[in-house]
Amino acid sequence: MGIFRGGGKEMNIEDVIQKFTGYEIWVQEKETGVKKKVKRRSLWIRVDRDKIRDAISLLKEIDKYPHFSIISASDEGNEIEINYHFALGYGGMLEEFPVSFKVAIPKNDLKIRSITDLIPAAIFSEREIREMMGVEFEGLPDKRHLFLTKDFPDGIYPWRRDEMGIKETNKLYETWKEVKNEV
Amino acid sequence: MKYEVPIGPLHPALKEPIMLRFTLEGERIVDVDVICSQNHRGIEWIGMNRNNPVQSIYLAERICGICNFCHPACLVMAVEEIVGIEAPERAQYIRVIQSELERIHSHLLWAGVAAHELGFDSLLHYVWMVREKVMDILELVNGNRVTKAILMYGGVRRDIKEEHIPKIKEMLGYYKSLFRKIAKLFLEDKTIKMRTREIGILTKEDALKLSAVGPTARASGIKKDVRQDFPYFAYPDFEVKAITPDIATGEVVGDTYDRIVVRLLEVKQSIEIIEKALDEIPKGDILAEAKIIKIISQIKKAEGEAIGRHEAPRGEDIHYVKLKQGFEYFYSWKVRAPTYINILSWRPMLIDMQIADIPIVAASIDPCISCTNRVIVVKDGKENILTADELHKLSVLKTKRLRR
Repeated sequence: MGIFRGGGKEMNIEDVIQKFTGYEIWVQEKETGVKKKVKRRSLWIRVDRDKIRDAISLLKEIDKYPHFSIISASDEGNEIEINYHFALGYGGMLEEFPVSFKVAIPKNDLKIRSITDLIPAAIFSEREIREMMGVEFEGLPDKRHLFLTKDFPDGIYPWRRDEMGIKETNKLYETWKEVKNEV
Repeated sequence: MKYEVPIGPLHPALKEPIMLRFTLEGERIVDVDVICSQNHRGIEWIGMNRNNPVQSIYLAERICGICNFCHPACLVMAVEEIVGIEAPERAQYIRVIQSELERIHSHLLWAGVAAHELGFDSLLHYVWMVREKVMDILELVNGNRVTKAILMYGGVRRDIKEEHIPKIKEMLGYYKSLFRKIAKLFLEDKTIKMRTREIGILTKEDALKLSAVGPTARASGIKKDVRQDFPYFAYPDFEVKAITPDIATGEVVGDTYDRIVVRLLEVKQSIEIIEKALDEIPKGDILAEAKIIKIISQIKKAEGEAIGRHEAPRGEDIHYVKLKQGFEYFYSWKVRAPTYINILSWRPMLIDMQIADIPIVAASIDPCISCTNRVIVVKDGKENILTADELHKLSVLKTKRLRR
C-alpha cells in the first residue's frame, strides 16, 4: 500500500502468533461499530521473566520500531505481574492490534532486566513501575523517581497491596471515610 | 563553556508544574533533562483503593480538564470490554460527537497558546474568542463546559436533543466560514513561519523510536490515529483517515509548523465527522442499564483485564484495567496519557535550538502536564532560575528581532 501506510509495515495478527510459537498466547476480541461492525483483536502473550528481552527482540524482528504504549502492574500476592503493552501495524483501518507481554516476577526476587536499550521509550514507564511497585529493573540507566518526590520514603510502594503499600493516608481521606460511615 | 539552566518547576510554555534542565553552550541547547514529579495526585491509587468503579469515571474526568472526555472514555471502554456491557447505538454516536467537540476546543485552545508563545497576543485573543462558540455548545448539550459527567458504563447520561441540532450545525457552519481565515493567519504569516519552520524538528525515525503519538507523530509523517487503526465506539462508520502535513503542504518536515498544519486540518476533520454523525445518528436509548447499583454489582462480579484506547486531541490515550471478582475497586488501573510518552520527544526537538525557541517548541507537542504529573516539591534554591515571564520575554524579543 506504499506511502498510504505511512511507512508502517504490513502485518497481521496471525503472523505474530506464528512468530511466537512456543509461548502461551491468547486473543481477546471485541465487536465495535454501529452500521459497520468490525472486530477489534488484542493479543496477549505470557513470557517468562528471563525471556522478556528475547520476546522484545522477536517483536523487533517483525517491526523495527514496535509502538510502545506503557507498562502496567498489579500485585498478585506472591508475585508482581507486569504487562508490557505494545501496538503493531498502524496505517489503515483496523490494521493495528495491541500486543501485551505478561510477566510474573516473584516478590522474593523482584528483579527483571531493563528493556530501555531495545525500546528507548520505555524509560519513563520502567522508572514509574520501579517507584510504584518496587520492581528493580537491571540496567535501567536513570533510577531517579519519576512522579514521586525525591524525599518519598524508601520501602513504600503505593501500588502494592501488601505490607509494603501505603498504610497511612492523609487527613482528607480519613475524613472522607468517617463521613461515609456516618451516612 | 557549558552551563546549566533549570526551567521550572513552573513550565515555560504552559503555566503548569514541570521542570526542564537545559545544558547550554552559549545560546545553543546541547542537552535536556525533564523532571516530572512536581504534582502527583495519585489518581490511579484512589481508583484502586477508595472509589467504586462508577465514582472512578468522574475521577478520571479530573485527570485533565481539557481532555475530560478522553480519560473516562478509555476507562469506560476497558470496563465494558471486561464486563460485557454494550452501549446502545445512539450512545455510541453521541460518544463520537463528544470526542470530536473536545478535539475542536482543545486544538483551538492550543492554537491560542502557540500564538501567545510567539508573542502574537492579538491572535491568542482572537482564537480564544472563536473557541467560545464550541464551549457554548458543550454547555448547551452537557450543562457544563468542562468535567461534563456525560459517560456511564453502557452509554451516556445525556442525550443530544432535537433542539440542540440546529445550534450545533450553526456552530459547525461558523467554524467552516472561519477556517480559511484562521489557516491564513497561522500558515501564511511571515513571522509565524520564521519562528516555526525548521524549528523543533522531530524526524520520523525519532518519532517511531520514541513512540510519539497524536499530532506530534502525524506531523512527522506517521499515519497513526487510533480512530483509524483500532476504531472504537461508532468510529468504524466514519472511516477516519490519519492526517499528515503533506496533505496540505505536499511535504513532511516534522517541525513546529507541521504540527500547526496537522491540528488545523484535524479541526476541519472533526467538523466533518460531527456533521455526518448528526445526519446519521440512530434513534433509541442512550443507556443500557439505568440502575447504577446494578452496574456496580455487575462489575463486582466480573473478572478480567482489558485496555481502552482512545484518540485524544494530544494523541493516543490508554487505560489498563484489571477487575477481580468480589473486589470492590479496580484491582489495577494504569493511565497512560499522551503527554507521558510525547515528552520524550522534547529532547530531539530542542537539541541545537536556541533558548528563545523553548516556549514554542515545548508547546508544539501540546503538553498537558496534568496528563503526566499528578506532590509538591520545594526545590533547593541554589539554581539560577529563569522565570516563565523572563523566558516568554525572550521569545517575544526574538520575534521582534526577526521582524526587523
